[in-house]
Amino acid sequence: MSKLTTGSFSIEDLESVQITINNIVGAAKEAAEEAKELGPMGPTPFPGIATLRDWSFTLFDRYEPVYTPMCDQCCYCTFGPCNLEGNKRGACGIDMKGQAAREFFLRCITGCACHSAHGRHLLNHIIELFGEEMPINMGASNVIAPNIQLVTGRQPKTLGDLKPIMEYVEEELGQMLATIHAGQEGAAIDYDNKSMLAGVLDHVGMEVSDIAQVTALGFPKSDPDVPLVQVGMGTIDPKKPVIIAIGHNVAGVTYIMDYMEDNDLTDKMEIGGLCCTAFDMTRYKREDRQAPYAKIVGSLAKELKIVRSGIPDVIVLDEQCVRADLVQEGQKLKIPVIASNDKIMYGLPDRTNDDVDAIIEDIKSGAIPGCVMLDYEKLGELVPRIAMEMAPIRDAEGLTAIPSDEEMKALVGKCVECGECKIACPEELDIPEAMAAAKEGDINALEALHDICVGCRRCEQVCNKDIPILNVIEKAAMKAISEEKGLVRAGRGQVSDAEIRAEGLNLVMGTTPGVIAIIGCANYPAGSKDVYNIAEEFLKRNYLLVVSGCSAMDIGMYKDEDGKTLYERYPGRFEKGNILNTGSCVSNSHISGTVHKVAAIFAGRNLSGNLAEIADYSLTRVGAVGLAWGAYSQKAAAIGTGCNMYGIPAVLGPHSSKYRRALIAKNYDESRWKVYDGRNGQEMAIPPAPEFLITTAETWQETCVILAKNCIRPSDNNMGRSIKLTHWMELSEKYLGIMPEDWWKYVRHEADLPLSKREELLKKLEAEHGWEIDWKKKKIISGPAIKFDVSAQPTNLKRLCKEA
Amino acid sequence: MVDTTKNTKLFTTYGVKTSKAITTEIAAKLISKAKRPLFVIGTAGLTPEVLDRAVKIAKAANLPIAATGSSMLGFVGKDVDAKYINVHQLGFYLTDPNWPGLDGKGSYDTIITLGHYKYYINQVLTATKNFTNVKSISIDKNYIQNATMSFGNLSREDHIAALDEVIDLL
Ligand code: SF4
Ligand code: SF4
Ligand code: SF4
Repeated sequence: MSKLTTGSFSIEDLESVQITINNIVGAAKEAAEEAKELGPMGPTPFPGIATLRDWSFTLFDRYEPVYTPMCDQCCYCTFGPCNLEGNKRGACGIDMKGQAAREFFLRCITGCACHSAHGRHLLNHIIELFGEEMPINMGASNVIAPNIQLVTGRQPKTLGDLKPIMEYVEEELGQMLATIHAGQEGAAIDYDNKSMLAGVLDHVGMEVSDIAQVTALGFPKSDPDVPLVQVGMGTIDPKKPVIIAIGHNVAGVTYIMDYMEDNDLTDKMEIGGLCCTAFDMTRYKREDRQAPYAKIVGSLAKELKIVRSGIPDVIVLDEQCVRADLVQEGQKLKIPVIASNDKIMYGLPDRTNDDVDAIIEDIKSGAIPGCVMLDYEKLGELVPRIAMEMAPIRDAEGLTAIPSDEEMKALVGKCVECGECKIACPEELDIPEAMAAAKEGDINALEALHDICVGCRRCEQVCNKDIPILNVIEKAAMKAISEEKGLVRAGRGQVSDAEIRAEGLNLVMGTTPGVIAIIGCANYPAGSKDVYNIAEEFLKRNYLLVVSGCSAMDIGMYKDEDGKTLYERYPGRFEKGNILNTGSCVSNSHISGTVHKVAAIFAGRNLSGNLAEIADYSLTRVGAVGLAWGAYSQKAAAIGTGCNMYGIPAVLGPHSSKYRRALIAKNYDESRWKVYDGRNGQEMAIPPAPEFLITTAETWQETCVILAKNCIRPSDNNMGRSIKLTHWMELSEKYLGIMPEDWWKYVRHEADLPLSKREELLKKLEAEHGWEIDWKKKKIISGPAIKFDVSAQPTNLKRLCKEA
Repeated sequence: MVDTTKNTKLFTTYGVKTSKAITTEIAAKLISKAKRPLFVIGTAGLTPEVLDRAVKIAKAANLPIAATGSSMLGFVGKDVDAKYINVHQLGFYLTDPNWPGLDGKGSYDTIITLGHYKYYINQVLTATKNFTNVKSISIDKNYIQNATMSFGNLSREDHIAALDEVIDLL
């Protein structure tokens, strides 16, 4: 017997009769059962702008918004441009801080919109293919949608259950976008509150995206033993026809892969990707752990480089982080560009309704430089066929932008060392110096630029000698590029409930010294090796490394003396001393989700609609710090800000100071470093950690020191604190040459001191800080401002205290 | 003398207010006259020729050093008063008149910057430029628009020669 559901129905043979069922006997019971399963509903399901403002403000009280505006001016409406320099107010009354906060907020909602629109597209597409009833499958876990559950209170079970979640995100996005309008909001801090909500919704949107694709597209499901994937520009065999996919939304590319498989083409041609589509290509249908044939070329920084190499025979675009000049660049080398998503159409003719053969003819003849193709069945056939047709034509012509040896000599010889390119280069690369050396026959300096160069071509546009500088750099780096062959573990998806149960205690006590989450893009200050160096440093120290996106790719590009990448040296479980890759950009939601799960599963806190309590738990007890060393995008701003609202601090690279807003605490102001003890509501002092919610650093070495310090949490037990202090002190000595100035502030008890240094540090506490020491017992008698109490319940929320 | 005021070319602009290009003489005068100066040296200050001059300037003008990034490594054992601080954090703390400073004696009225990525220090200095009265003097090799005063864009050789002039003038 089929089961009745609510909705409208027509009855056959009875014209004009429609029955509407609003309630069904037993439905209330079902709902009650579901509620029981979910636990009680927290205070803030489906929050709007005002709902979580108290929590944002609690955070801002300690972590103050720090504004570094990009420009003195606002030119947003026709009253302007207004000069706001010196915190002046514009014609509308907004001041410089308000404008900087608005600009930052705009980045956060843009990022959130990007992930959510991606999620919406994928969800609609996948529901069309598999239906709303398809059960969500994320692997063996009960908490399958921690972000959704935390924010909305719902626990989706089917793909259809994700629709109202998306609708909620979309509604709030509309409300928030409205407040960018001139005359909508005056207080900087209220823009900051909205940024926090946008960040939170970003994680919800990302989670919807990844749940949909993991469930329906055969992606690995919470699997620590996913296969390794080839990564790097050198992994693509240029002798075969080459398809290069760029973007973040794998929906269309799956049809290309299906066509390749159905026509036995996977070993006859190459398919490689840049940015997150690449990651999702290697997850597609790989839950069976088969090694993927799709390859990852690299991050956004490699887009122009791979095009200029002439290797691609066709480029297929979807959405996000796609260079705006690919059609023009492709055209120069007869590389057709196919746009497969209506968000990016690049002025190309829409040939969705045309015959594939006709399109191929037009592309081969050069009548069109590419086209828009929104019919995925056709896209699947079109792209591989273009690659196969274009490859021999392009090979015969030897199409590449990389100069020959002779051309190289002439180009380098043209340089007059005027320095214009150096002023224009966003990475401040000393191109003139490298050119001068190359003139003398030494191309080492030019070659060294390749890894730091983000392939933006700003330099070329200002060169009065018309030197194609990027091509010159790439020519010098030909050998290095051909050797760019690394391995990265495919995205595993979520961390399972069982893994959380096993590791939770170590995290909260601090005996696992911290979770370091390395995520984000490739706008690094000094090349991609930084992220490898940081990851290796912390893996050797037994931290738990979680990675995703372009950083995960770049970490896999480097090898040790035995030729092994970090993914080959360290396993992929959620355990100290492991490195696990959650997957693409949208898989970042599993990193925040993992932190929520620690509170929910290990500590038994109620997740549903209970954001402030869970975030408070994470901030005071879970030593997790995010690192987006090359963050460039609005999406990265939203991801980081969402983490902040969830109580997870994040460090960004120096370029990210351009986001305009950080959240930094005054580590010297003791009044900010107090929380309540949940047992009785009394105030208790905590150490100044984490010292920020979002900030930037200058070098990877400084970052190592910052990350170790900011894994410290009030809940650390003695052993945990002593392990964390050991690593922080060692890293500070290694990379800064000094003991940290303020180490003593984190000492509550002699057992907190690193074992190997205990006596020496006790002496310092006595001599430099006037602490009283019982030397017979080697114990601290008096001195610490913070008491150690193993059963204290640190919280920033008075309402959670028993006797409040 | 090196003309440190000639090339003030910017690739992009941060808006209306642009720092005044200064000679080595003025730089030296401002450094010696500051009541409560702080010498903010970034990691690019670790190249031997710059580091050597940074130490000499700090000693000649008796400047405490805020060693940002990982530049602290260069000052260990150099007999200068150097302390590590993150530069973004420093930019924020300078906006607080109650900041006890790196030595507990209070905040600063003048910062002198050297050895930074220009994009990074320009961004950090928007905090002092817009929200404080703290003067910032850049003696780096790039023209820093958001400093109060700055050298123009200099070649590596000219920059070193300019730093030597500052040392002689202190
Ligand atoms: S929005 Fe306000 S500050 Fe901006 S241009 Fe218009 S009036 Fe001026
Ligand atoms: S802009 Fe051109 S000519 Fe000038 S230094 Fe750079 S490469 Fe040489
Ligand atoms: S293409 Fe490379 S070298 Fe040229 S400006 Fe961009 S980052 Fe600098």
